[in-house]
Amino acid sequence: MNHTLIRRPGAALAAALLSLAPLAATAQNGPPGTPGAGDARRLQFEPSFTQIASGKWTGARLPDGQPDVQGHWSNTVSNHSNFTDPQGGIPGDPTPPRRPLGPRESRAPSRVSDPADGQIPFQPWAKARQQEFLANFHNPTKPEYIEPLARCAPAGVPKSLMWHGYEIRQYPGYVLFLFDSGSRIIHLDNKPHLPAAIKLWNADSRGRWEGNTLVVDVTNNNGKALFGRTGEFSSENAHVAERYIFAPDAKRYNYVATFTDPSVYTRPWTATIPARRREGEKADGWHYEVALNKAGETPVVERYERICAENNIGFGNVAQTPRK
Amino acid sequence: MKLKNHYNRALVLLTALALAGSALAAPAQKIPRAANGKPDFSGIWETTSSADEDLEPHSARKDAAPGAGIVDGGKIPYLPAALAQRKKNFENRDSADPRLKGWTLGTPRAVYYREPFQIFQRARDLTLFHQFGHSVRTIHTNGTPHPGGETNEFWLGDSRGKWEGDTLVVDVKDFNDETWLDRSGNFHSDALHVTERWTFLDPNTIEYKAQLEDPKVFSAPWSINVILHRHREKNFQLIENYRTTLDYEQHYPPKP
Repeated sequence: MNHTLIRRPGAALAAALLSLAPLAATAQNGPPGTPGAGDARRLQFEPSFTQIASGKWTGARLPDGQPDVQGHWSNTVSNHSNFTDPQGGIPGDPTPPRRPLGPRESRAPSRVSDPADGQIPFQPWAKARQQEFLANFHNPTKPEYIEPLARCAPAGVPKSLMWHGYEIRQYPGYVLFLFDSGSRIIHLDNKPHLPAAIKLWNADSRGRWEGNTLVVDVTNNNGKALFGRTGEFSSENAHVAERYIFAPDAKRYNYVATFTDPSVYTRPWTATIPARRREGEKADGWHYEVALNKAGETPVVERYERICAENNIGFGNVAQTPRK
Repeated sequence: MKLKNHYNRALVLLTALALAGSALAAPAQKIPRAANGKPDFSGIWETTSSADEDLEPHSARKDAAPGAGIVDGGKIPYLPAALAQRKKNFENRDSADPRLKGWTLGTPRAVYYREPFQIFQRARDLTLFHQFGHSVRTIHTNGTPHPGGETNEFWLGDSRGKWEGDTLVVDVKDFNDETWLDRSGNFHSDALHVTERWTFLDPNTIEYKAQLEDPKVFSAPWSINVILHRHREKNFQLIENYRTTLDYEQHYPPKP
């Protein structure tokens, strides 16, 4: 493990952006799901979703009774480049992959699992604004066309689950998600949500365990993070009902979340984002972005701080840390 | 009879005082403890000190209430060139404090900054979750060393802790040089080395001490001492404060 770390915080985003160019290509060169041969920058993604049923939890538990799902996770199909065609690249890419995309069926399905057409049921105005964002994404001429994550904004709900690997830590009364850009504290203690006037990038989360499923009620979302580079979004009125459904061996889970927002959508719709555990895999600096340490002779996997604060740029620019 | 009564009352009073005294002297009997027997710092904490306005003693000024500071001995021992930089920082503090850009506060500033932070504790580590910037510091308590050598630089430093009795002693190094120590321009370099000592005074109060060394900036190690209080308001919780986003967040989300 190379411990050379980002010396300048700006390098974090630059490295992240660079890692994305081959990322789209991975889904398009050769059979999806195969790692790029000999190219460490090529990230591995899967061509399909794994089904996981809700039910009893038969796996390990923590002393407080929670299913033990602590550890390092990452999504299995792609980053946030394209919400509804995850392995289809960013539409309008001025430097598209050399090999043309295959038929749609050869790539992972839409993250929109309901409605059946795989599209978010936007109201006409909202569809128009999403299309406008996408049309201007590669050459943003207005501030609102810059994808907020490129400015170091928190990735929010649900984009955080598509952006780099992340760590889950559990405590009596809490589940923490420590993401690459932002973090979430899931409160398990039934306290009321924050007052509605408070709007947050990572929203406000109340959760409970039902068997193998972490059920989370999400409110107070500021709607600002957007869902990805294709510009899908909710408003600050969104209510998200999340279900994190864990496989019995705690190696995989599916995020299944219903978004309700009468100010933006014509009906509630459901997103599905599959994830798998990364311990035991080769650290690749994206899905499994960890450091290796030792306690005596015992190997220890650690997470370094992830802080991105000083960028304010469009997609594709190399971040510069301002000199003092 | 009267005398005896007086004697009895005095005895009761003395006994009560003795009991109170022993309770104060032995808080260890009452502090929260984790399953492994170590003090359990889980909870939401915040200082009531004005340390972040100025670590050193200072009179009232337009941007700060008067304060005695939290530096042992009252004075930070700057090297001459660093003292000049500190004065420059002070003059420019209205715009140059990295806090104003929302940058991560650093260690130990994030601890005595006037916004709450939450501690989540496991046997292997403590997670410090700061409301300001929503930044997260892990204090490892599993016997791991600093892995970084000369290459790692972190906003919050690399934290390795060990228990000395009921005190958590944390060695923090591998800092970047982007953060200040307070609003008045006290600062450090990437050679900063912090030794923290976290001790319960009672179940709802932590005494936080830190020694700061930085041979590029200070002529000698110096120490701070500040009290942290547990938030006990009903349903109190952290509310993320991403100050970095305030300059552009009005552009999102799209509107009708």
